[in-house]
Amino acid sequence: MQFDQKRVLDGIDLDVVRGRILAIVGGSGSGKSTLLRLMAMLIQPTGGSIEVFGTDVARIDDAAALPLRKRIGVMFQNGGLFGDMNVLENVGVPLREHTRLDDETIDELAQLRIALVGLDPDAAAKFPSQLSGGMRKRASLARAMALDPEVLFLDEPTSGLDPISSDAIDELVLELKRSLGLTIVTVTHDMDSLWRIADRVALLANGRVAIEATMQDLAASTHPVAREFFGGARGRASLHAERR
Amino acid sequence: MDAADITLSGSTVRCTGTWTAQTLDGIDARMRSMAWPTGAVRFDLSGVAAVDTVGAWLLYRAARDLRDEGRDVSLDGADEASTRLLELVESKQIECPQPLHSQPPGMLEEIGRESVDQARIYASFFAFIGEVASTGVTSLRHPRRIRWQQIAHELQQAGVNALPIVGLLAFLLGVVIAYQGGTVLRSYGANIFIVDIVGLAMVRELAPLITAIIVAGRTGSAYTAQIGTMLVTEEVDALRSIGIAPQELLVLPKMIALTIALPLLTVYADVMGLVGGIVMSQSLLGIGATNFVDRLADAVSVRSFLSGIAKAPVFAVFIALVGCFQGFQTTGSAEGVGRQTTISVVQSIFLVIVIDAAFSIAFNHLGI
Repeated sequence: MQFDQKRVLDGIDLDVVRGRILAIVGGSGSGKSTLLRLMAMLIQPTGGSIEVFGTDVARIDDAAALPLRKRIGVMFQNGGLFGDMNVLENVGVPLREHTRLDDETIDELAQLRIALVGLDPDAAAKFPSQLSGGMRKRASLARAMALDPEVLFLDEPTSGLDPISSDAIDELVLELKRSLGLTIVTVTHDMDSLWRIADRVALLANGRVAIEATMQDLAASTHPVAREFFGGARGRASLHAERR
Repeated sequence: MDAADITLSGSTVRCTGTWTAQTLDGIDARMRSMAWPTGAVRFDLSGVAAVDTVGAWLLYRAARDLRDEGRDVSLDGADEASTRLLELVESKQIECPQPLHSQPPGMLEEIGRESVDQARIYASFFAFIGEVASTGVTSLRHPRRIRWQQIAHELQQAGVNALPIVGLLAFLLGVVIAYQGGTVLRSYGANIFIVDIVGLAMVRELAPLITAIIVAGRTGSAYTAQIGTMLVTEEVDALRSIGIAPQELLVLPKMIALTIALPLLTVYADVMGLVGGIVMSQSLLGIGATNFVDRLADAVSVRSFLSGIAKAPVFAVFIALVGCFQGFQTTGSAEGVGRQTTISVVQSIFLVIVIDAAFSIAFNHLGI
């Protein structure tokens, strides 16, 4: 994958296992968000192949991508909520667009999703501009789940949140995996979050996957990139916290 | 994937097929209008191949509504995954507390809302003028606090950089007026009066007006966008916390610069408009540049010229005030900046034309 002559991702080889949580980590500019956007079919790669549910989507057109997109949900970093609709209407958009359920049922289902992501029922009537960062992320998650996707992509689900909200989002992600059997791909910087939710962690460096392992193996790894990743103050703190 | 289906036999409701968002077409409506058996109802879910939360919700809702009528309802034969989903849906279901869709307001409400909003905006506009004035007075008392560098920068932006567009448009306007007037004058043989028409129209009215309108669209909007963006990114708050009055840094230099730039631009527009007139007069009516300029001294008095120029500083003050004021009115995020910029342009062009009309009436009374 390249942007303006600069190769961002090169020689990525990564599989996402059904029903697991895969975390993609790496320094700023390591291409993790690009990788997520490629997998979620938001951008197309300049080369190589990406298979989503067994279909190569590298050169896919919109019509062919639609059935795949319905099976995918994306939670955006800043929510990506439509500013002229309230939360209930935002969550209802995929249902209105892609199903023939009646309006009342759609509202009930949207309300159900809103409860599922742990938002107050009152939040449903609010507009995105009236929500805090954490609530916006939750609302975005509720919308991503509207069509019961099989795979959820989370872009920095806990960035910019206070520790309590971050914990709550982590709990929510685990709960969704447990109760709905979702496959989840998350891009994150959050060490605590990695320890808690990730089944596998793919560490990106220089546009490729340096290591893909469980968090425990990654922490014990002698790979220079992994050492660098855990070498910072935050990485060390998270290791200490985990050992205790 | 089999489509979802629901059939009734005795007191048993048999559900079959795939109960997911994509396959539930029509089931929703059928369940609502279904003639449920009297007494106890048994849902047989053993034929259901797959359920997602949408399907689970429909099943749960039907069961809940029947239970609410006081009947015995059982859901049998669900596989493990479906049971879990049904439980999840049940645990998360809540009554919708209020009508949640944004209702379009009634006419009366809209009139009321709009009046209150407008009143508030006018009040804060006057407050803003007051703030700017008091900051201005403070700055004048402490001339060292006047930001000359900012003013020079704004002069470059609002004045020098506007020269090409103002020049071109004034020139074209001159051409158009000479053409329209010339065709009529020629039929009367009063060719030379083209100088009066182009001269007076350009110098008294059109040059100041077109310049102010261009500047309102070009510079006023830029002011709003700049201040609005700074507000959204908390730069204005940062200024306050450092102890710099935002008005002093963001408004005064703009206002001073524009008050200098707009009259100068107007003079430039006068000249370019006349050049346009000369070009057209030469080709259409055969009046040479020398004749045109000779006649100009008689046709356009210094007083006429000054009455055109005198409007420019007033336009400038209002364009700067509206541009900056609307910038400070920005709320929310990037979207707010766009909205405010649009309002700013419309209002300042509106104001420019209203003020121009007021000047015409005043000049008429004063006999200028």
